[in-house]
Amino acid sequence: MIAMDLMHHSSCFLLPTIPLQRRPSLTYALLVLNQNLPRFTPLLWNHAQLHLCADGGANRLYDEMPLFFPQEDASDVRRRYKPDVIKGDMDSIRREVLEFYASLGTEIVDKSHDQDTTDLHKCVTYIRDSASGLDKSNQLCVLVVGALGGRFDQEMGNLNVICRFSSMRIVLLSNDSLIHLLPRTYCHEIHIQTSVEGPHCGLIPIGTPSKSSTTTGLQWDLNNTAMEFGGLVSTSNIVKEEKVTVQSDCDLLWTISIKKL
Amino acid sequence: MDLMHHSSTFLLPTIPLHHRPSLTYALVVLNQTLPRFAPLLWKHAQLRLCADGGANRVFDEMPLLFPEEDASDVRRRYKPDVINGDMDSIRKEVLDFYRSLGTKIIDKSHDQDTTDLHKCITYIWDFAPDANKSSLCILVAGALGGRYDHEMGNLNVLYCFSSLRIVLLSDDSLIYLLPRTHHHEIHIQTSVEGPHCGLIPIGVPSRSSTTTGLQWNLNDSIPDYSFLLSLAAKL
Repeated sequence: MIAMDLMHHSSCFLLPTIPLQRRPSLTYALLVLNQNLPRFTPLLWNHAQLHLCADGGANRLYDEMPLFFPQEDASDVRRRYKPDVIKGDMDSIRREVLEFYASLGTEIVDKSHDQDTTDLHKCVTYIRDSASGLDKSNQLCVLVVGALGGRFDQEMGNLNVICRFSSMRIVLLSNDSLIHLLPRTYCHEIHIQTSVEGPHCGLIPIGTPSKSSTTTGLQWDLNNTAMEFGGLVSTSNIVKEEKVTVQSDCDLLWTISIKKL
Repeated sequence: MDLMHHSSTFLLPTIPLHHRPSLTYALVVLNQTLPRFAPLLWKHAQLRLCADGGANRVFDEMPLLFPEEDASDVRRRYKPDVINGDMDSIRKEVLDFYRSLGTKIIDKSHDQDTTDLHKCITYIWDFAPDANKSSLCILVAGALGGRYDHEMGNLNVLYCFSSLRIVLLSDDSLIYLLPRTHHHEIHIQTSVEGPHCGLIPIGVPSRSSTTTGLQWNLNDSIPDYSFLLSLAAKL
């Protein structure tokens, strides 16, 4: 067995407050794509230092954030949840939404000339390369809502972005699940936050077949087990311990269910 | 290589008589919100199965698609032939209702090794006489969205049964496998699908693939691996 560096994962961004001594200490960026906002979006917003909308994601923020705070005035909610940046090819954002946020000082980055990359791709590149105001002394973690569900080709395009940016921590979240990559260059420790996630989980050899994967902490652990589409793909697995470890010869996608609180 | 034809005629109100290939449809309903065209798929299918909690969906949601009709009449009309699965999601009153109408109940609760979709496909595979398998097409509603590990497990079923035509459908998209063993012709039904589409080499990288008819065609040689085709649903 080759000695590899350890990579830690933990869904503390789903907790009301992130414990101070939490290792690793991460800086969060939140990216909103154009699907219904998951119910915990305000929570993710609180944890994030940078808030971006990809194009029509701004419509979602404008229309749906007030619905989470029905007792408050809609304009107050919209002002409080003002994105720092709206980026993308601008073919979905409504004119009045664009003007509203522009008037509040949101930076508008128009990439309508670029038809070669998805909105998610553009935003991840922006966060990685250009975003100011981020505490880059900590490791960066990009939380993305609205990347799953909807048109299947878009969902796959979004999956491809996290595979291409495999050296970045990018978590795709929906009401039901979260997913992120486990790069093959590390041994992984996943610290399960049982109050907010699980028990249903899966490990998916998304890009290439895996000749050997090994886990601990699952109901059906893998033990030098081969996985591939057309054969075994670990889905409908169950988290058994508070710490799950994964080691594999290829990049795997980790997915875990999010509890309906 | 042999040519394989594909066409989403199951999304049309009536399937043209001369349409080639002539297919027999089976419908499998999984446990997600029914797509708005579920009654249309039901009409085209000769065999209708619910996987476990899919029966709850048919019971609860079919009447909503016919709001001007009496709910019990709709439920009787849209009675599944089979309910198959591990039975941990189906409600007792739903199970009793369909059982009393003659639906065949297949309890597979002892089998925890395969997904509900896998169980249903296996049932259809065993049920269809050998001669009919190449003209069989299984339409699946409710396989996309929801829990992500379920969605991936359902995609894997397409690969495990790569010699069967299986189409996964949601309100937004349909997807099916293009096995590498064939050249493929996809006849686009522009009234009901597109224009957005995609070709996804899921699980295995493809060294080379070639297409025609797309805005951005792939131009290489023969495809090495199986692809998923994704088409946006327009209904």
